Amino acid sequence: MTFHEMNPTIKFLTVTCLMFGLAFMYNPWTPLVVFLGTLALQTLFSAVSWRRWGLFMIPFLLTALGTLWTSLVFGKQTSGDVMFKLFGNDVTDENVRLAATLSLRVLAFTALSLLFTLTTDPKRFVYSLMQQGKLSPKIAYSVFVGFRFFPILKNELMQLYETHALRGVRLETRLDHIRHAPKLIIPLLAGSIRQAERIAFSMEARGFTGEPRATYEVVAVTRNDFLLASLLFLLFGVSTWVGVR
Amino acid sequence: MLKSWKLKEIVLLSILSVVFAVVYLAFVHIGNLWAGLIGPIAYEWIFGIWFIVSIIAAYIIRRPGAAFLSEVLAATIEMMIGNAIGPRIILVGIIQGLGAEAAFALTGYRRYDLWVLMLAGFGAAVTSFAYTYVMGGLTALSPTYVATMFALRATSGMLIAGLGGKLLSDLLLRTGALEGYALARQGRIHG
Repeated sequence: MTFHEMNPTIKFLTVTCLMFGLAFMYNPWTPLVVFLGTLALQTLFSAVSWRRWGLFMIPFLLTALGTLWTSLVFGKQTSGDVMFKLFGNDVTDENVRLAATLSLRVLAFTALSLLFTLTTDPKRFVYSLMQQGKLSPKIAYSVFVGFRFFPILKNELMQLYETHALRGVRLETRLDHIRHAPKLIIPLLAGSIRQAERIAFSMEARGFTGEPRATYEVVAVTRNDFLLASLLFLLFGVSTWVGVR
Repeated sequence: MLKSWKLKEIVLLSILSVVFAVVYLAFVHIGNLWAGLIGPIAYEWIFGIWFIVSIIAAYIIRRPGAAFLSEVLAATIEMMIGNAIGPRIILVGIIQGLGAEAAFALTGYRRYDLWVLMLAGFGAAVTSFAYTYVMGGLTALSPTYVATMFALRATSGMLIAGLGGKLLSDLLLRTGALEGYALARQGRIHG
């Protein structure tokens, strides 16, 4: 029983429900417990590389810090004892509580998101959306096309840089390349649109009609999916209880 | 809804979503760097970037659902290529897409003038701000600060997504790549 095997649609719904629930909790303990609990569940029921997890976490740590000081400096006026002054704003203990809640919420959201992202194969997610979520095959297969489109896009981009170089555009550093990128968006898009038309024609030529079809990969729903989902909901229940108490 | 769509329109939608998913992700990182310094308001003035695919897709394809679907697809693909916001980004895409779609629905999917496109950018700003308000806990901030955030986001939505989306699509039209899509056909009828 791991989060990797869990049905992606059910996992998606569970994680989204938890995040919505968190949005209505205004005490610092609930997001803290959810954050720690998610890490515990992730340790128990998945094999996620913590190094990768840490790398993904860094930007959100920054966001959490930004949220913390924004809600301290620009916090609304609340009653309560003034604890200290920050850039001319009286910070009450209520403000500190709210600021802690919001920044911990960022961390809890991120932990839940990473639990989903790091254990979900995008292809299985789309298959599962099609099989359990009744997603239109027309859209599902277009997403696959889109996903397979990345190498083509990269090639086109390289080609454009080379064409521009042939015409005498000098790009020395990496920064030059980035600065030059906006000039490439129109030719890149125009090329991609032409490609899209060709891909659509070849899909039709191979008999793709957009009707539901048999697939090799069947994403099942098992009892374990509900077990893992209830563990996550249980975590939310406990965290709410801790917060309200 | 999708019955009347041609396959090539759906594939175009998906390819546009892919290209803009990359752009979106790049700006998430730019926004994140800022946000650490100046807080969540860092995202507001560039927020229109994240609505732009809705406007471009609707303007080119001109079918009900184009604004909504393109935004949701872009969000989904953004998640697949590594936006750590993860599943929440799909929700954000759905909400932003609905806001933009509403503007086109209001005009009965008949008008695609600049003001409608800007209204779509504004619509996406409204719905996405409502989402931020709840999920980001903006009730904790002072009303003036929240109002400033919204004003910035709405302006950004109208200018970057609405005006910017139109300019970009019109440039694309001039390359001739859009022959066979509604935008090019409309152009021929009217001028």
